[in-house]
Amino acid sequence: MPSMLTYISRRLLFSIPVILVASFLLFWMVRSTFDPCVKMRASKDVEAVTRCETRLHLDDPIPTQYLGWASDAAHGDLGESSRTNEEVSAMVPRALWYTVQLIFWGVLISAFAAVALGVYSALKQYSVLDYTFTGASFVGLAMPPFWFGLMAIELLAIMPKQWLGLDEPLFYFVGLHSGAEKGFGADYARHLVLPVMTLTVQIIASWSRFQRSSMLDVMSADYVRTARAKGVPRRDVVVHHALRNALVPLVTVMALDIGALFGGLIITETIFSIPGMGQLFVRSLQAGDAEVLVVWTVVTAGFIVVFNLLADVLYGLMDPRVRVT
Amino acid sequence: MMRRTNVSWLVALLASALIVAATNGIADARTTGKVKIPTGGTLVLGASQEADCADWIHLCAGSSWGQWTMQEQTIPRPFNYAMKKGNWTEVPSALMAGMPTVKTVDGRQVVTYKINPKAVWSDGVPITSDDFAYTLDQIVNGEDIYDATGYMNVDKIDTTDPMTAVMTFKAGEPFASWRTLFGPSAAILPSHILKGKDRAAEMADGYAWSGGPWFMSWEKGVGVTLTPNPKYWGTKPKLDKVIFKFITDTSASFQAFESGEVLAIYPTPQLDAVEKIKDGIPGSRATITAMTGNTEALWINNDKPPFERRAMRQAIAYSIDRDALVGRLFADIGVDKAVQTLNPPILSRYSDTKAFAGYTRNLKKVASLMKSEGWAKNSKGFWEKNGKEMSFTINSTAGDKRRELTEEILQEQLRSAGFRVSIDNMDAGDLFGEVLPTGDYQVALYAQVATSLDPGLCTIACSENIPGPMNDDSGQNYQRINVKKLDPLLETVDVDTNVKERIRASKAADVVMAEHMVSLPLDPLPNIFLWSKKIVGSVRDNPVLSPFWNMNKWGLKR
Repeated sequence: MPSMLTYISRRLLFSIPVILVASFLLFWMVRSTFDPCVKMRASKDVEAVTRCETRLHLDDPIPTQYLGWASDAAHGDLGESSRTNEEVSAMVPRALWYTVQLIFWGVLISAFAAVALGVYSALKQYSVLDYTFTGASFVGLAMPPFWFGLMAIELLAIMPKQWLGLDEPLFYFVGLHSGAEKGFGADYARHLVLPVMTLTVQIIASWSRFQRSSMLDVMSADYVRTARAKGVPRRDVVVHHALRNALVPLVTVMALDIGALFGGLIITETIFSIPGMGQLFVRSLQAGDAEVLVVWTVVTAGFIVVFNLLADVLYGLMDPRVRVT
Repeated sequence: MMRRTNVSWLVALLASALIVAATNGIADARTTGKVKIPTGGTLVLGASQEADCADWIHLCAGSSWGQWTMQEQTIPRPFNYAMKKGNWTEVPSALMAGMPTVKTVDGRQVVTYKINPKAVWSDGVPITSDDFAYTLDQIVNGEDIYDATGYMNVDKIDTTDPMTAVMTFKAGEPFASWRTLFGPSAAILPSHILKGKDRAAEMADGYAWSGGPWFMSWEKGVGVTLTPNPKYWGTKPKLDKVIFKFITDTSASFQAFESGEVLAIYPTPQLDAVEKIKDGIPGSRATITAMTGNTEALWINNDKPPFERRAMRQAIAYSIDRDALVGRLFADIGVDKAVQTLNPPILSRYSDTKAFAGYTRNLKKVASLMKSEGWAKNSKGFWEKNGKEMSFTINSTAGDKRRELTEEILQEQLRSAGFRVSIDNMDAGDLFGEVLPTGDYQVALYAQVATSLDPGLCTIACSENIPGPMNDDSGQNYQRINVKKLDPLLETVDVDTNVKERIRASKAADVVMAEHMVSLPLDPLPNIFLWSKKIVGSVRDNPVLSPFWNMNKWGLKR
């Protein structure tokens, strides 16, 4: 256990310069490409631009500007958005909360569906359903999410409403709540169905293929054949011996994929009007809002690092043959 | 088998629950006057953009959607806008006891606002002349103010009578557009709430007070919720709640309207919007008006070769069939005629609406003008001079399908007239923040948008406003229009308080601009408002205030 803690601490420490370099590169690119005071130039107050440039230290070299930001950030001041004048420390967590909700439900559903489909396909290899799932997964992988999202809205929200003569659609697709509604009840569920479906279609397709091949490998392993020869029931062999080992590589892939999702699901969030990290990134980029973008990068890179680490740790925990050093 | 049956029941139950939830109705109905306006209910509308902040006088607040969804609903203004005898004109709002008056006293312009004694803020405190004086002070002395034009000319506001704000301008600094002050895109702010506080910080993320029919609550990224202000002295809202949901994706916005998730949308006049209206959306109505505050034009850099020469600008104008272009874009919604003035259609009172009508496609005139400038057609059919082919670039905003189609049509028409045209579209920030101010372009395609009923093309057409040292590069005459005959006319429009004289000068300016072909007006960018038949009441588009200006008179039927 102490070696595990040392390993985790070391990985986290090594990730700090990676995150700093990534955030600096983005800061540098945004600052040298966009003019954060562009809105001020429309003002008839000729000093507005000067004040903006002074406030953002735009006369300093970009590395100096970045160091200034990093120094303030180290003291807990993440700065203000140059677009909205709002505290970045309020904007990013708010956007993150929406993205986390999507990821949570998306990953939960994808994991169950992918494992179930993958295991079934492996156990019933070359059956009609195996071919069906395989074909469907290729379609899922090839389908652009924006197209799938718009089609899902048309087929599952608009057309049923017209056919059934309803006042409202069965599934909503604007935000995560209807106006006054809060919480996680039926209204929330009706809002989640379509965005989660759009988010998961490619993930399920990819993970189920992975699970299928992993399960096929395990099922042909010597220890599984031995267990079956010793008379262990097939169900026990599949659940207790094969599935547990076949999950190890999938869990690693899942951890890596989930980390990358925190950057935001730009297409899903745009189609379904969900103000998550993806939308925050796009709006900030369009406005050259470096203060927000740099924090966005740090948070996103942080999640990628943490989930990469989690993948390694889980791999070690699930497979006793693997030890961290 | 049993298990499968249970699942089927569960699915049926879930579907029934969803259908019941979806058909859940609203509210009772009550008769109001002649029209039966139901009371109660929640109206959900789509908003295409989210404001950056709610401090309406700050630079961060220059968003039309911010004005429509929050500001107009919560902030009092001196004027409303109504159609009278075919022209949009100012009428006193509920805040005023009568039409504000303007006169000249001892050579100074004096505007008097008589405040309605019933007008109160949401806490019951009367709206007084102090509020006018406080707002003026914030605009004149505040930092990062969106537009202090006109306010800077004011010497003082006399607050002796709380119910009368008497605004006196500085000697020799009259402001003809005084009707634009304190609204519609600016504000009158409550001094008793904000005085002594950091106004920008208090208002930026929204505020809990109101001087309009509604209170507003802004959930960032999600939407704006309006609830009735019980202290509002005018027509009280019938609805329990109005919710604007932010839907920035155009396709999703139409789908949300089709599905009934939102009951009205106010989309930009894009091609897919026109297509949808042509196809028809069941259960909906569409209000389309070409009488807007928009002028989409080919804005020509009068300082950039070859367009520093009037004949070259005219040759371009005679090469284009503008009616065919407008028809191709908007004929399906009944708009098929090009506009003939650089003033927007809502300012028709101030415009010579036929000023540019002479510029129709006429290739003989093109040939004559080009030859007079020493150009001749080469073997490829393009104009050529000194071995150099005539070509130029049109810049516009990227990702706008309507503008892309406009450019394609222009490219085709101009090619057949002997001009080689290339297209360079870019991010709006780059176009308006960099390319236009620095004059690094030849021709640009975009719209000027008027936010009031007051004319004022001097800002974009007087020579003193060409970006340069004399205005610290902040001038907005991006076309570098430099016509000596034009300046005094447009200045008269800006400073003369005599309406008749302004109209005369403005119309004369239109003629001069057409003579010099300083830029070429194309279309009025029609306003499109789509709304469900469930909405009851007086639903009308207002080119200054949007269709949402009188939601306090709307109801919602089952």
